[in-house]
Amino acid sequence: MSPRARKSGTHTRGTRPSRPAGQRKRTQGRGSTPGRARPKVRREEAPALDRSRLDELSEQPLPTTRSAGEWSSRRLLVPSHPLHIVMVGWEWPPNHTGGLGVHSYELCKELTKLGHRITFLTPFPGPFTPVEGVTFRYPGGPVSGVPAPFPAAYWSGGTPDSPFWNATDGYNVWVEQLDGVDDADVVHVHDWFGTVGGAALARRLRRPLVMTVHSTEYDRSLGHPWDHILEREQVGIRAATRVIAVSRHLRQQLIDRYHADPRKVRVIYNAVRPTERLAQIDPHRRVVLFVGRLAAMKGVDTFLRAAGRVAAQFPDVLFVIAGEGSEYSRLLHLTAALGIGDQVMFLGKVSDEERELLLAGASVFVLPSVVEPFGIAALEAMAAGVPAIISKTSGVAEITSGVFRVDFWDVDEFASRIAELLEYPTLRRAMGEQGRWEALREGWPERARETVSVYVEATGGSDHR
Amino acid sequence: MKIVLYLHMHQPWRLARFRYLDLGSGRSYFDMDRNLGIFRGIAERCYRPTLDRLGRALEEFPEFRLSLSITGTFLEQARLAAPDVIDKLRTLYRTGRVALLAETYYHSLAFLVPPPELHEEVVLHREMLRREFGAQPQVLRMTELAYSDDLARFAESERFNGMLAEGWEGVLRGAPPTARYCAAPAPTVRLLLRHYPLSDDVGFRFSSTSWNEYPLTAEKYAGWIANTPGELVGLFMDFETFGEHHSARTGILEFLSALPSAVRTHPGVDWATVDEAIDGPPRDPLSVPYTMSWADQNRDLGAWLGNDLQRSAFEAAKKVGLAVRQAGDPEITTDWRKLLTSDHFYYMYVSGHGADQGVHEYFSSYDSPYDAYANYMNALTDLRRRAHERLGVPVLK
Repeated sequence: MSPRARKSGTHTRGTRPSRPAGQRKRTQGRGSTPGRARPKVRREEAPALDRSRLDELSEQPLPTTRSAGEWSSRRLLVPSHPLHIVMVGWEWPPNHTGGLGVHSYELCKELTKLGHRITFLTPFPGPFTPVEGVTFRYPGGPVSGVPAPFPAAYWSGGTPDSPFWNATDGYNVWVEQLDGVDDADVVHVHDWFGTVGGAALARRLRRPLVMTVHSTEYDRSLGHPWDHILEREQVGIRAATRVIAVSRHLRQQLIDRYHADPRKVRVIYNAVRPTERLAQIDPHRRVVLFVGRLAAMKGVDTFLRAAGRVAAQFPDVLFVIAGEGSEYSRLLHLTAALGIGDQVMFLGKVSDEERELLLAGASVFVLPSVVEPFGIAALEAMAAGVPAIISKTSGVAEITSGVFRVDFWDVDEFASRIAELLEYPTLRRAMGEQGRWEALREGWPERARETVSVYVEATGGSDHR
Repeated sequence: MKIVLYLHMHQPWRLARFRYLDLGSGRSYFDMDRNLGIFRGIAERCYRPTLDRLGRALEEFPEFRLSLSITGTFLEQARLAAPDVIDKLRTLYRTGRVALLAETYYHSLAFLVPPPELHEEVVLHREMLRREFGAQPQVLRMTELAYSDDLARFAESERFNGMLAEGWEGVLRGAPPTARYCAAPAPTVRLLLRHYPLSDDVGFRFSSTSWNEYPLTAEKYAGWIANTPGELVGLFMDFETFGEHHSARTGILEFLSALPSAVRTHPGVDWATVDEAIDGPPRDPLSVPYTMSWADQNRDLGAWLGNDLQRSAFEAAKKVGLAVRQAGDPEITTDWRKLLTSDHFYYMYVSGHGADQGVHEYFSSYDSPYDAYANYMNALTDLRRRAHERLGVPVLK
């Protein structure tokens, strides 16, 4: 294999851990709220890597523990004792730019639930969303508890001579020399970042290496891979006793392009975790959604009363109210009085991600506001392809035709519109498509140009005065 | 060269807002007050002044001829909202120089519904013409000028001598639209074709100030007709062109009044009714294997059945029709037929692309095509319930 060297100068790469928004993300990270259990953390120094060892490592003979045939039976194997897993990772929430951080987090969380113990290695100094049973270790030393900036070296460039590379190499050397993990049962690396160190560590500990490949350099670079990244992928794939690919397609690529031994490549798919609140929503039930503050001006009364008119005819439908506010207890009583408690769910305030998940699964969106200068929530629903019913008083009603417009006081009309969208799938689809188009055809770029136009008017420079 | 001026008179029974919550309420689907209000307005602006001018033209110009199609739903509304309009129509017809055309009573898409629906609706219309005018039409025009080989066979089986169709290049393949043709599968059925450029000059472009021929005078227009080679020129348009689509302010009524005298200055140009125009040997047989219409850029049924909403609604209506026919209840049947009126489907048109959208929005009686669809489906769902109740079928919802 002689992959074509990529031309230098282009630094826009797939999973190279660029971090343009890193600083911002850090301060608003999820899950690391004070008062929760502090993550177990050890800080250590990172020495330099002897790159001449790359070839040597990749030629290691592979210890095999099980025959490949066992896997094909699809019977899951269970260890005789709890495992200590050394996971050579990269990102970890809340500081993550891509899917790898989430993957590591969710996977480790479930592994610990199964009784296993994890030492999670990362080049970044945290903070880390704590998970019981996971110990974090990283090189370098920030002050404990204070969010430290990512070392610039980790994301300043992708060429082989850049500080990024020096830092990555440093991480690998640190991994290889890691102490205190002699009781580890398995070393698990993700993608190419830590393959060299991970492979060396596994060899030193005489433990098997498992590598998960989330994507390959060929795909990330659209066919123009960096040699030095390919090299690291190769090291891991060769040294690993088992390789996990996230799809059959990727598995085949590893076999075809990386000459991975087919007998050792397994497929384990990714997954999503609904938040605990969303998990309460039975996936078989259709959702009519309200998102907004529980305030009088938002017309949640109307939403509930309309629900009361049609709920009995659509027993599979759940009327979901996402938001919190001063009206909550009154609305709860109203729900009870309407006798539709089993078809109404108050979710409380939802995160951005939860809202996206809600919208992705909703059949109908309702914005019954009494007063609504604009109503961006409706635009978001439309952008998600969810047909919307909005009050005529909403500003957003001015720019859309793919919605139902209703007088805010007209409970029967809201109820009828909800029922019509639930009853007629062709209507739902057509309005969803139209709404999506309308919501997305003009975005912030257009609004910015319009705003500039107002500046020009204000400063007296307009040609159109 | 003979001018075949044919004007189409139609008003649909527009639906009231029939909410989902109104299902089973026994409320009427049709908004009587609103429909009659609209009719009165159009009668004031268009029907009365235009009919008066046409009457004077027939008095002053013995060579002037006119053809009209009048739908059953138009006549029902006229009877309730402006009965004098019917009187004016009778007066015109009595001149003997006005031909009336046959069509479906409900201006419906019955030609896409399993038989014998189309036959029955054409019979209903024929009876209406006989009763109201003592007329016996020879020429059939189908809703929205729909035409196909199948429809020609139908016309033949109903003993019509002619049909109208769009003079569309797609089917003429180089032959002129200004000739009498016959239907390839039914040669006794003569075909008269709409000269769409000249028809649309009046129907669509007359009041457009951005048109490079604006303003259009009767003299100029008569000159264009005189310079058009051929035997017949079919000027087919909505009656509402005069005073409604183009308001009286645009001078459209004066244009109409001035046309007969302007035509008189061209010795070779004369007038003919559709009944007169079909009388003669056909130039060629014409085959139209698909259904052609007079609407939009594509001249197909896209304006009525082009999108998912329209097709879904029409398929639902067809299905309900099976129960309606079985139930055999005259009231239910009448409501169902009113729901087959093509306008309801036209209101569900979703555009996207340019030229035709303005036309569609102009003609819609709803906020949006989605409103139109939801409302229609509610009415249809209620109708299905009524039919099922009549049949003793257990109603599920």
